[in-house]
Amino acid sequence: MKPEGMVHALEEIQRLLRPGGSLIDIHPVLEAPLIKVYQGGRVLFAEPSPAYDYEEVLRQAEDALAQIVQRRLFVIERNGVFDFLTHGPSVAELRDFWAQAGAYSDSPKDEAVTAREAELYARVEEIMQATGPGAEVVGHERARIARLRPVR
Amino acid sequence: MAVRVDPENNETSALFDLADFSGQHVLEIGCGDGRLTWRYAGRAAHVTAIDPFADGIARARENLPRELRGRVEFHHIAFEDFAAASEPSTFDITILSWSLC
Repeated sequence: MKPEGMVHALEEIQRLLRPGGSLIDIHPVLEAPLIKVYQGGRVLFAEPSPAYDYEEVLRQAEDALAQIVQRRLFVIERNGVFDFLTHGPSVAELRDFWAQAGAYSDSPKDEAVTAREAELYARVEEIMQATGPGAEVVGHERARIARLRPVR
Repeated sequence: MAVRVDPENNETSALFDLADFSGQHVLEIGCGDGRLTWRYAGRAAHVTAIDPFADGIARARENLPRELRGRVEFHHIAFEDFAAASEPSTFDITILSWSLC
């Protein structure tokens, strides 16, 4: 969703909800996801993803939510944070999956970021090869979930 | 072995902790391929799931479980267009599924 559309979208959601309804918002927290290697539930490697380039848009989403609460369109009833893990049998399969799911932004990445990302995934692959069968690459994000009630 | 998304069910647990879907009419914005939709739709009265990306919606329609047919509908549409064509006070629960940002 484009930043300028976030507040308008929340206004429209308020209009579409019945009185007493709920808005459930799920979005990542403001921190880089971790890329991990697991084997049999043990974490063998964990590093923040260098491709974390959506902090600004997350801040805009947080601002939009704060704005509609301040305007008394919604009240936050409850919120929490959870861990969201995506397990892949290989780096290539996990990255293909994320690409298919539209997880990557359309804007071109900084060359240095792309290089650091390639280096990180090369290390992950080395570790997975050295570890042998049963190793998994895991994307570990943390997400915020909130229930908001429309105010009429 | 395929890619596994949230096999720990942390997202589903957090969702069910915050919302009771029983008998509810739900709008899910940013449903993608229906990954989250399948996890709660069985409890809802009806789910309208939308996404602006055609590929995800096509996969969601292909993978729609038989038992959810008639209860879940997927639309390839941007939220602003969906909202413009929708009546007020239509849904009990709206889920912004990783889609506000």
